[in-house]
Amino acid sequence: MKSLSLLTIALLTLSTFAPACAQAPDQTWSLDQSTLTYHMSHPMHEVDGTSHAARGKGVCHAGQCDFLVAATVKSFDSGDSNRDLHMIQTTRGAQFPIVQVRFRLAQASLNSPALDCDLEVLFAGNTAHYTHVQFHQTIEGAAHHITGAIPATLSDFKIEAPSFLTVPIKNAIPVRVDMVWHPS
Amino acid sequence: MLSGRSAGTQEVEMEFRSYAPAWCPGVFAAAMGFTILGSSALPIPAQVDSPAPAALTAKADSLDLPDAPVPVASAGSPLDPGERVTLQSSFQPPAQNPTPSTAPSLGDLGLTPADTEGSAARQALFDRRTHMLKMHQRLGLITVIPVAAACITAAGAPPKHGDFSNTTDRDLHIALGATSVAMYAWTASYAIRAPKVSNEHARGGVKWHKYLIYIHAPGMILTPILGAMAFNQINSGQKVHGIASAHGPVAIVTAGSYGAAILAVSWPIHIKF
Repeated sequence: MKSLSLLTIALLTLSTFAPACAQAPDQTWSLDQSTLTYHMSHPMHEVDGTSHAARGKGVCHAGQCDFLVAATVKSFDSGDSNRDLHMIQTTRGAQFPIVQVRFRLAQASLNSPALDCDLEVLFAGNTAHYTHVQFHQTIEGAAHHITGAIPATLSDFKIEAPSFLTVPIKNAIPVRVDMVWHPS
Repeated sequence: MLSGRSAGTQEVEMEFRSYAPAWCPGVFAAAMGFTILGSSALPIPAQVDSPAPAALTAKADSLDLPDAPVPVASAGSPLDPGERVTLQSSFQPPAQNPTPSTAPSLGDLGLTPADTEGSAARQALFDRRTHMLKMHQRLGLITVIPVAAACITAAGAPPKHGDFSNTTDRDLHIALGATSVAMYAWTASYAIRAPKVSNEHARGGVKWHKYLIYIHAPGMILTPILGAMAFNQINSGQKVHGIASAHGPVAIVTAGSYGAAILAVSWPIHIKF
């Protein structure tokens, strides 16, 4: 009788946590290091703006992993403070201070050397989708080093191209990605 | 997803989920018969976390914030989960985020609403600043024309061979100089009145652009004063002498630093078509 009571209490306790068990992620990933670099091109200028301040997390559940990477617009540094402030204005960074990238991968593909991602990028108050963006992955121990480029353009986010001497910059603003992820 | 919960609560829950053992589903099935008793005896996580959404929604409404960006996954895309979360975070209203319920949120990244909330008023400040600096740039480039012309006509301004009566070239030089100073002041006024949006120290070319102000701004004041002194000396039949004789060198340094200031914000220049 006593053992039956103990079993009952144990099962009661476990049943309390059952909803959490049912939704428990199989694996989580955290972004340890990141370098995001946009490139801007003008007939008289070539500019790169870099951010090391991106944060990221991945959650795997039922064989699918959802990732989110976010960085503040103001964290991009082109080496010229005036240009950076103008970039924030042009990209409406004061109103939409975060650039977010979401993507989903099959958990089984996380260790492959090439990652094919469908990206959802939220930037400047607009969302753009980039399908089949290729990233290269090298794995050293627990560190997953991801490199690649997002083929972003100004028009994808309805950003008016700024001009210098009446000549606008090019529409393409590819973003190079260099990240190190760790499973946790 | 925060689902109206505090970030701290969610972190604790996520941590528990991470350590959830593999035999969990089996135990869950065995415990189903005791669920009613169990749920009445102890609070389940959903009960602990549920009350917040109304308060958070009210907060979002009261802040009078600009519309949050709306991520929209196209139908049938891999990002379309076919379900909607009730409230992703305190700063995004429901029905605007079709991301999967298991997907991480900005709150999971340690970003607070203060980090992620935009400000239309601040954006308007940026817009005003950019507009004024564009005017500053445009007028500054236009000002190059009278400055250059004043430098060129300076060659004909002094009396030639002791002839003090021919004043045409001198008058033209004075007119161009005065125009230069007026245009310069107009140009500077836009930079001075542009709203300041950052307290960070200037970096890059704009730093040198600002340093050069300390040369060309005094020069733009001093040059016409010295020019007026030289003009009076010539009109009274004297040879330019004293401090007035510095009019030319001061003007050259002023024009040179003005040109350098323009180059500073344009450097480095890579011609590529």
